[in-house]
Amino acid sequence: MSDGGTGAGSNDDKVVNSNDTDIPVRQVERRMIRTSKAPEIPPFESRNWLIHSHYMSKDFDTCRSLIVQQLAETQGMCEYAQYVQGMVLRQEGRIQESLDSLQVASRLNPQNPENLKQIARSLFLMGKHKTAIEVYSSALELIQNRNPENKDWEILHNQGICYARLGDSSAAKNHLKKAIEIGQQHSSYMQLGRVHLEEGNIEQAIAVYKEALAISAEDTELMTTLGLLYLRNNKHQEAFEYLGNSLAYSPTEHKAILAVGSVMQKHQDHDVAISKYRVATLSTPESPQLWNNIGMCFFDKKKYVIAVSCLKRSWYLAPFEWRIAYNLGLIHLTIRQYASAVHFLRAAIGTNPRLGASYLLLGIALTHLNEQSQAKQAFEHSLTLMPDDISLLLNYSIFLIKNADSKSALYFITKFESLITSVSLKTLDPELVKMSGQLSSILHSGLPDQQEVAT
Amino acid sequence: MDKLYVAQSLLRRRKLEECVEACSVLLEENPRDEAAWHLKLRALSEQLYVDETDAEEEGIAEVLMDDTAIAELPRPGTSLKKSLITTSGKAGSTPSIRPTSQSGRPLTGFLRPGSQSGRPTTVEETLLTPRSATTARPVTSASGRYVRLGTASMLTEPGGPFLDVSKLDLRKYAQKPALARVLFEYLYYHENDTKNSLELAALSTAAARYQDWWWKIQLGKCYLRLGMLREAEQQLRSSLKNLETVDCYLYLGKVYNRLDQPLSALKCYEQGLQRYPEEILLLVCSARIHEALNDSDKSISLYKQVLQLDNTNVESIASIATHHFYTDQPEIALRFYHRLLQMGVYNAEIYNNLALCSFYAQQYDMCMCCFQRAIDLSSNETAGDVWYNLGNVLVAMGELRLSHQCYKLALSSQPEHAEAYNNLAVLEWRRNKHEQAKSYLLESASLNPRTYEPHFNLALISDKIGDLQSSYKAVNKSIEAYPDHSDSKELLKAIQSHFRSF
Repeated sequence: MSDGGTGAGSNDDKVVNSNDTDIPVRQVERRMIRTSKAPEIPPFESRNWLIHSHYMSKDFDTCRSLIVQQLAETQGMCEYAQYVQGMVLRQEGRIQESLDSLQVASRLNPQNPENLKQIARSLFLMGKHKTAIEVYSSALELIQNRNPENKDWEILHNQGICYARLGDSSAAKNHLKKAIEIGQQHSSYMQLGRVHLEEGNIEQAIAVYKEALAISAEDTELMTTLGLLYLRNNKHQEAFEYLGNSLAYSPTEHKAILAVGSVMQKHQDHDVAISKYRVATLSTPESPQLWNNIGMCFFDKKKYVIAVSCLKRSWYLAPFEWRIAYNLGLIHLTIRQYASAVHFLRAAIGTNPRLGASYLLLGIALTHLNEQSQAKQAFEHSLTLMPDDISLLLNYSIFLIKNADSKSALYFITKFESLITSVSLKTLDPELVKMSGQLSSILHSGLPDQQEVAT
Repeated sequence: MDKLYVAQSLLRRRKLEECVEACSVLLEENPRDEAAWHLKLRALSEQLYVDETDAEEEGIAEVLMDDTAIAELPRPGTSLKKSLITTSGKAGSTPSIRPTSQSGRPLTGFLRPGSQSGRPTTVEETLLTPRSATTARPVTSASGRYVRLGTASMLTEPGGPFLDVSKLDLRKYAQKPALARVLFEYLYYHENDTKNSLELAALSTAAARYQDWWWKIQLGKCYLRLGMLREAEQQLRSSLKNLETVDCYLYLGKVYNRLDQPLSALKCYEQGLQRYPEEILLLVCSARIHEALNDSDKSISLYKQVLQLDNTNVESIASIATHHFYTDQPEIALRFYHRLLQMGVYNAEIYNNLALCSFYAQQYDMCMCCFQRAIDLSSNETAGDVWYNLGNVLVAMGELRLSHQCYKLALSSQPEHAEAYNNLAVLEWRRNKHEQAKSYLLESASLNPRTYEPHFNLALISDKIGDLQSSYKAVNKSIEAYPDHSDSKELLKAIQSHFRSF
């Protein structure tokens, strides 16, 4: 089909040329003498429709050969051919060349804002955001020169993205909001949501994404993102709803699977979670997060050996992920391999020194290794990071009682008791409450006793 | 005692130089003594005898100007030139778990000629890939080994060569089978004169009315050395029809390997195994090919079969250990490496592997001792790897600053260590030194274009900076190196959507 099309096009041209062959030569000669007559303009734009139709059907090879022919015939003066060449080159990832031919197009017709817009886009793709913003502004000027009422959401949207890349989030938000007012495009919503997220404003981001979902109701990526955001805000019901919807539309979306699995895991529904994860392992067998979650599922089911080997694979894939090292530390503490636990917890601390919980676990592990002074250090460091953590207070007071420092222990246990009265008893681990009752009775009777530690 | 008897006894006791001297004395007394002549030739070629059935190093010209390739784009799994096709879900064989060598094949457990070299497609790549097992420097000429052998032969005969090959009447010798064979081996191994030995072999085959399997193998060997692979295949096949010998299967497999037809090689080894079911060399060779084709299950079962027949086969033990290490069973790998150590393999590599195994098996006290030993034993070539592994262990322990230093040390002893550059880049990126990270990644990607990590990291970094063009290029390279990498595919999708939207 496409070959037939080109053949017809070139035939047309030949007909035009052969009709002119004899006369124009003389005309040119005459023009040299008498310039008053209007010059003959070759049909520059005659094949634009053909180029366009091939470009739209992504038939880039035919399109390019047409463009080459057209440009050769017009000595590179055909604006549309240059423009489409730029677009084709961009889709093939050759941005610099695309920029060059778009610039030629814009030189041929400096009044066309579309050329400027695409130049700016190419600049943006090459990471030259400031220049891109400037070019977009001049494109906007061109549009508004025609009619000051004219608006263009594309320009505003793209400027917004450029500002976001430059780190100027307020300008980015401004532009994107204006773009949404005019265009209500899905991509603008996505970008705005992302800017909000980068500012750490989850509520705003959720609102934006919800609006976007009203426009494109079946976008699974959007649903997954929303679900994940709700998860971050600890709203499990809503999160589950959105993630479930996303999975209903595309059952192999691994992000959604991971998130749904983690919600199920939180509700102690380990077997279902594992079966979900199994689907995800097919598409992403190398995701450390996935293996970490699988490992923790088995941990909760008390299958420690499998858990350790899953977590270790996860750790092999992502040695910088402190969560994995922390989880490994936790498991080894549970199966009473304290020396290993210490190593894993140290690794977790090495990559994330701001987490109090790892110091708490480290303290407990060190206590069991009879490194009392180091354990004390760990506990105290943990206290500076999270002074109001109830499990830390309890564990530290147990440690202090073991080391016959009942005075300080009493201080911490009273702090603990004052804290749990402010929290409702339902959310507390019953074991914690029981342990604290035993402790305070020991302390008040004044008899330090050996106690097993709960974590 | 009879002088000839003494000479024979010397040959049998492998006192080759003394044997040559004894024969020279005999030949001075009687230059026409065929027995002494025969003995001397044997002694001389024994001195330089090489078992050529094993894999060997290929020179630059052979690798680059390979005109025997059948298809430019071979089907998946039928060539060793293209990158791996991974079957998803099969853990332990993906490049993110088991690293790849410079050729893009899974890292082997045992270093042998050819296991490091790839099948590069451009001159640059050819110059970069190491061609010999021990050094990373490419062998410069096609006949690196043979040139050395030639000079050695000159040294052993300071008074000039024993035979003047150009004056020999090969036709006459071809009629005397017993003399022709020793003469052939002398020409082939000692004189390294492939052309004349080929002529002799051809004449002798004709004299034996094309029925002699031995001469056909020799013809095949000559053709193989001359790079005429199809002719070699023909001769070896014909020899198999006369008599099925292990040597012949091995040479035929080697020819197919050079032709980059691993599946034909496997078939050939299988045929050999039907005839000789317990032949270790055939088992090992086919295990190697399965390993290179990323079919670890089959290769391991073959290696295990080898160990049942010969429980001191170092290559099998090392390969099985490597397999277990990369399939999350470091404890078992540790036991295999222990076995190697007990057998007397005492070098930096063993201690390095022991250290890694004991680290992942959580035997921390062993780990550092082993690394200490490995560093003490390491030479310039291995020190880089040892420091690099130590760096990885330290990263896993959260000691980022120390690991940074280790990678630097690795690079100082081995400046072409691509993986160390990559890891260093990741550390620099974490310290927010973005430019530095980028330059390290570029270095790493240019040093070893067949690993996907530097390309993917580069793509990620360029994407973060906003330079989508570079990111697109890099992520394409990453996918080329590892077609199943899901993160790369996702990134590519995102970038393409950027390109498409207006």
